[in-house]
Amino acid sequence: MSAVTTHSPHDDAHGHEVPYETQMRSNRLGLWMFMFSELFLFGALFTTRFVLWGNTRPALSQEIGLLATGILLLSSFFMYRCEVGAANGDQKTFLRSALLAALMGTIFFIMVVVMEWNVFGLSGELFGIELFGHLKPSDGVYGGVFYAMTGMHALHVLSGIALILIIWWNGRRGFFTPERHWGVEATAIYWHYVDVVWVFFYPALYLMGHAVK
Amino acid sequence: MSERKSAAYRLGLITLAMLAVLTIIEFFVAVYVQSVYVQSLVLLFIIAVVKAAIIVQNFMHIARLWREESH
Repeated sequence: MSAVTTHSPHDDAHGHEVPYETQMRSNRLGLWMFMFSELFLFGALFTTRFVLWGNTRPALSQEIGLLATGILLLSSFFMYRCEVGAANGDQKTFLRSALLAALMGTIFFIMVVVMEWNVFGLSGELFGIELFGHLKPSDGVYGGVFYAMTGMHALHVLSGIALILIIWWNGRRGFFTPERHWGVEATAIYWHYVDVVWVFFYPALYLMGHAVK
Repeated sequence: MSERKSAAYRLGLITLAMLAVLTIIEFFVAVYVQSVYVQSLVLLFIIAVVKAAIIVQNFMHIARLWREESH
């Protein structure tokens, strides 16, 4: 007499392990779909700028805008090095680049919040360049659009910095290997996405149209 | 392995240089072609699209989405 074992499809689903390669493809697709959904949010803000500002823009510090953009690009470069380091088992480059990317991101955040938003109401010049902005959120469509765009972007910068610090912390504990480092790859893609958004926001806020005092 | 790593680091540097040059061009377009609004707007938008494409291709590795291997 043979023993009868009950075997349901439910058991199959739990017993079967998804191959890592398949899981990675799903992860990547999921991340890109998430970023695509975010595109609607940033796209709406970008469009709002053109509808409300038209051929004008507030008189913002060109030097701060250019410097902040350069720092964010540099941060993206370090994030790229961080990912390459993790993918090649270069632990030193991985950890050092992660910290540098987070540092550059923090400098960018400070430049937007402390200098451009001027949350502490400071004033001052360096080599004839005005260091602190004057635009307030209540300054009509200029203030409203500027703070909505930079605020939403700054929120993403902040969350990106938190993610970078998490992978740095986990990396120090040997959490990632050249074969398995999805956390690093996902953080890098997210951080570069934040950079891509700024690539469009920077000319829209600082360069396009005539400056209005 | 080492050669692949060096090539990857080099790509990062080349990408950064391209982005830096395009950002500077963008800045000068805004300053010097500003009087011709439509032209400068179109030019600035094209530069932004090119910069975004470079980041998506070289830094974000969009091609991995339809590649077979895991890395």
